Amino acid sequence: MDTAELSIAAMGQALRDGSVTSEQLTRAALDRVAAKDSALHAFVLVTRERALADAHRADAELKASIDRGPFHGIPYALKDIYDTGGIRTTCHSKLRLSNVPAADSVVAAKLTEAGGVLLGKLATHEFALGGPSFDLPFPPARNPWRVEHVTGGSSSGSATAIAARMVRMAMGSDTGGSIRGPAAWCGLAGIKPTYGRVSRRGVFPLSWTLDHCGPLSRSVEDSAITLGILAGHDRADPASADVPVADYRATLNQGVSGLRIGMPRAFFQTAPAVTHDVLAGIARTADQLRAAGATVEDITLPDYALFAAAGRVIMMAEAYAIHASDMRTRLLDFGTITANRFVLGAAITAADYINALRARRELTDAVNAALSRCDALLTASALCTAPRFDAPVDALSSASPMQTIPFNVTGHPAMSVPTGLASDGLPIGVQIVGRPFDEAMVFRVSRAVEVLSGWESMALPV
Amino acid sequence: MPSPDELAAEFDMLMRRAGITVPAERRATVLAGYADLCDQIALLHNRYAHTDEPANVFRLTPPEGA
Repeated sequence: MDTAELSIAAMGQALRDGSVTSEQLTRAALDRVAAKDSALHAFVLVTRERALADAHRADAELKASIDRGPFHGIPYALKDIYDTGGIRTTCHSKLRLSNVPAADSVVAAKLTEAGGVLLGKLATHEFALGGPSFDLPFPPARNPWRVEHVTGGSSSGSATAIAARMVRMAMGSDTGGSIRGPAAWCGLAGIKPTYGRVSRRGVFPLSWTLDHCGPLSRSVEDSAITLGILAGHDRADPASADVPVADYRATLNQGVSGLRIGMPRAFFQTAPAVTHDVLAGIARTADQLRAAGATVEDITLPDYALFAAAGRVIMMAEAYAIHASDMRTRLLDFGTITANRFVLGAAITAADYINALRARRELTDAVNAALSRCDALLTASALCTAPRFDAPVDALSSASPMQTIPFNVTGHPAMSVPTGLASDGLPIGVQIVGRPFDEAMVFRVSRAVEVLSGWESMALPV
Repeated sequence: MPSPDELAAEFDMLMRRAGITVPAERRATVLAGYADLCDQIALLHNRYAHTDEPANVFRLTPPEGA
């Protein structure tokens, strides 16, 4: 049995019918990490002993008829901004190399409580912003589809670990697209849930009002299972929302017949970075959804540039507030890209920030209005395929190859789901956006895209 | 829009006020990023009336019916 090809649900079935143990799943995953990670750099820390201990406990519990649910005995890994009690959490930064949290983040605690097996901590762009960089304590994660290409960021190691078949699910975080971008560039599913859906407590912040925690995974179903475990109110997270959590798997395969899907074509159609392959992929997805019974029609949202401006100003101002002291005293301890980006936050005035928050209200109202007429939106996630590491990139430019930040500004749930390969042989995807707290619909439409595109049968490169 | 020299002077002043020393070899890169950021910030200004409140205006008590 090639356990790397088992979905979370299939692993769960195999664990319960006795055809595999969690220890076997874990040792196989650790073997894949050992075999591949010296070239891919997904992990900054492999917690082998912890993983085997988690696996032994999971097996013993199942043997004793203690069943913690669909994540029981499943190996996973965490982006290295999630606090793990007693385990180093570095944010991929020299500034936090010796940081060992006393307690788990809420997400880590929930995954442990659900019976998950922690394999280790994953590479990220420094402080979830600056990268890919070669001047940090750990090398940047590489794209398993082609190692000379980037994964996208900042949940770079998370995407690498899944695309290299080391784990089926890894946690990322998304402040401007850091889950959906790497998912798009590595051929994975990645959801940014609604703002407030998953507790951020114990996750190092980049920008408090834009930060979202969520999974990247091999399939939409893997993400639906994971979010079902993580979603829920946390009184100690001031952004956490007390909103009922649906059974995401219950509606996953209901199809799209009768659904209305809006497409903000002006967002991506003439974007400077968009490629013919991505446009063709979106058009093909729209046609497939129509053929499956959905209505797909163009809608109008405010200019993309306004979303991007509001998002960047909010992110830079809030990030600077977090790092201002270190920027003054330890600037050269940050990676160059990180420092150059954070420095710009010092140039944002109070009026700039407040006007960005006024824009946020306007833009959120506009997306809500669109979603009052549609069940979901279909748009681009990445505008092109993953570039090479040596391709010139202006790290301080507002020109982005991602169109993900609008839904960080507005807080709506959004998922990147793969749709195929571009002419250069690298993955492309689309983005599905839903009403606040309606992740069930996002999963349902994304699952339909996954099936209709034929991506399910796509073999991963390694 | 300010001239490039005015923009550079403004940037230097902002860095001084923040107490940040940008290494000389990085200044041109960061300054270009600042110019790009200013273009984006301009989109946000002169857009809203005094009645348009920011997204983080808060409510101390639950809305009626909540």
